[in-house]
Parts: sequence; C-alpha cells; structure tokens
Amino acid sequence: MAHYADPDVLVSTDWVAEHLTDPTVRIVESNEDRALYTQGHVPGAVEIDWQVDLQDQTIRDYVDRAGFEKICRDNGISNDTTVVFYGDKNNWWACYAFWVFKLYGHPNCKIMNGGRKKWQLEGREWSSERVSYPPASYTAPEQDKSVRALRDDVLKHQKAGKPLVDVRSPEEYCGERLHMPDYPNEGALRGGHIPGAVNIPWPLSVNDDGTFKPARELEKLYCKANHLKRRSPTIAYCRIGERSSLTWFVLKYLLGFGNVKNYDGSWMEWGNCVGVPVVKGSLPEGGDPPAAPHAEA
Amino acid sequence: MDTVSDRIDRIVDEFADLDGREKLELLLDFAGRLPPLSADYQARKQQEDRRVHECQTAVFLWPEVSDSGMSLVAEVAEEAPTVKGFVALLAEAVAGRPQAEANELADDLLDRIGLAEVLGMLRSRGLRAIVGRVRRELLAAA
Repeated sequence: MAHYADPDVLVSTDWVAEHLTDPTVRIVESNEDRALYTQGHVPGAVEIDWQVDLQDQTIRDYVDRAGFEKICRDNGISNDTTVVFYGDKNNWWACYAFWVFKLYGHPNCKIMNGGRKKWQLEGREWSSERVSYPPASYTAPEQDKSVRALRDDVLKHQKAGKPLVDVRSPEEYCGERLHMPDYPNEGALRGGHIPGAVNIPWPLSVNDDGTFKPARELEKLYCKANHLKRRSPTIAYCRIGERSSLTWFVLKYLLGFGNVKNYDGSWMEWGNCVGVPVVKGSLPEGGDPPAAPHAEA
Repeated sequence: MDTVSDRIDRIVDEFADLDGREKLELLLDFAGRLPPLSADYQARKQQEDRRVHECQTAVFLWPEVSDSGMSLVAEVAEEAPTVKGFVALLAEAVAGRPQAEANELADDLLDRIGLAEVLGMLRSRGLRAIVGRVRRELLAAA
C-alpha cells in the first residue's frame, strides 16, 4: 500500500497557511493544555476543548445534539464548512475532536498533519488574538453509532472473538501499571487488557515531527505484524479514548478499514466494570509468564 | 498583613471577574515570571528525584524551607503553560513566609480562582494534587 486510503482527510501545514482566511474553512485547535491556545494559535483558529466543550459536565458522555449544534454555531461552523483540526501531543486531542465531529456526522473534517509541533518546527506564525466569527446555522443528525463502541458492544465483540486494538503502553496492557508513564492514575481499579486485544501502542503511528507514518509502514504494523484485517469489524481503545481516537483515525482513513469503532469508555470504564473479563500479561489471550521487556511506548 | 492567606486572597481577587480566556492569560503572566533554574538546581535535577510523577508533563519541584522562609523552586516544560503558571502562582504565594503558613495552601485554591471550570475535571485533578504535594513537602521540610 503506497498511499493512504483517504488522503484528502489530511492537510499539510502549507495547505493550512494558504487557507487561513478561506471562509469555507474553519481551523480548530484542541489541546491537552488549554493555555497553549491562549499563548499562541494558528491565525484565525478557534479552540474547541475536548473536555470543557465536547463533554457533558454532568453525565459522563459527550454533549447532546443540541449542545453540539451550539458549539458549531458559536464557532461559525455550518454544515458545509471544512473543519481542520490540529493540536498538541501529536494531534491526540485533534483526532478526538475530529472523532466527536464524525459522531455527529459532520461531513468535511480534516487533520493538519503534524499539529502544533510541525507548525512550530517550521517557524510559522502564531497569533494570540481573540478570534470570533459570526454565528452560523447548524443542524446535526443523531449520533452515528458506527464510529462509537459502548461497553456492551465491546463485550459482545470480545465474546465473538473479533479484533480489538489496545493502543496503550505495553506496561498498561500487561497490567503492570494503570496509567501512562508520568500521567495521573485516573482511577481504574483493575489493570490488564480486554481478552483478545492486540497491543499496538499509538506512538508507533507517528513520526518525530508529529506527522503520521507513511502508508506502507502503517500497513506493515497493523496488517502484517499484528494481523488486523480491513474487512473485520475492529474496535480500538486506550485509557480515556483520546489515544485510541488517533488509532481509529489511522485505521479508518489512512488504512481504509471499513468498520472500526473507538471505545471511548476505554480502560477507565472497563477497568472499573464489575464482572467483565480482564487478562494480564503480554499476550492477547493471557496465560503467559510475566511480561518481557517491551519497546518504550 | 502579608501571610500566605493574604497573598492567596489577593490572587483570588485578581482572578475574580475575569472570563475563562482572561484567567488563562493571567495564568500565562504568572508562568512568564517563573525564573529559570539556577545552575545549582540544574545540577540537583540530575541527582535528585524531584520529578512529579503524577503530573502530565515534565514538572520538577523543590518545595524548601530555609532561614529566609519557604521557597518553591520549579521547572515545568514549555508544553504545559497551565501547570507552569499554576506552580509559579504557588511559588509567589509562599516565597519567604514561615513554614507553618504552608497550611494556608488549601485544596480549594483552584476552585477559588475559578480555574477548575475553565480546565475541566481531569486537568483540575492534576493541579489539585500539586497543591497537596507542595503543602505536604513544605510542612515536612527540615
């Protein structure tokens, strides 16, 4: 595979620089650290925060349809706007925001390949000006269930022996730790992975400059080394659903998997569920001796 | 008076009435005032385990007490300006004050300055943990 399955879904920093004032395009930043946007953003970009804007603050879920419509309207995004996402941390949160936009069926979403990191490395302009656009009109459909797996979907999927991808670090997968190295433990009671899940840590999909690896390398990693198949329904998960949004993006758009879902509840739900199956150790089905050292995730 | 509590009250006043964006801008002002590590602390960074492992980015903290009172020396990665600003704010609140006043660094600081709702639940949890850690280590400092 020499090319990405859907190359139009990625835009370069050059493309973004050429479309900063294009009225049909809205550039959206989504970060781990919100103050980064305040400090400096791509000129004209709005911020849509994954935690404060896209998640409901009372129930553990995303904003509802009306809430999503309001976010779009307030940011001058209409149904036909091309929305380009970028952010810090190799575009994790950008992919997460992209995924939520797909959950609500927004047709034209793109990722700026390389995110903040590449924009910075290239010495491009940052702006700290406040950005606002005239309100747009927006109507969202109900959630598109084809991109999202809920706990019961995952349980059924797992019981049927269908493919799962755990994108966390090998230490989290094995159950040696409950959270990413250097990240807070957000409170999972059990460590390990969902039986049958293969471990493909998300960083293996990106280059040092934050861009995605070429199609050939991704194909080798996911399809050859780990035997995932484009035609098999596949579910990706991590700890809170952000790293797996990036893997979901890679599988669906860069490799052309026909049916791939993000389990956004991820380990923060599974590791706390009563009675669900969990496997410890470095093999998908468990039963192996204590894990051998793995590559750093 | 200029106790830690008084300073925190003044900081809370500074943040009051600002919108979310302005609160982050003010936090960036604090971040800009955090001095770079001196050569002495650069050397200690290599030798001592001062990294905050609960924290999302590279954060190194030295909450210390000397004859001239409390101090909080810190280094925070540029990619985490929110954490950097918050740590700088704590450093300004405790600088030069007597050790016992470390107790005045209360857990609700983040809520009082109104940052909890700007940052969301997950991020706020990390910053609250930093307040607790700084307070504990200042009180325990010999």
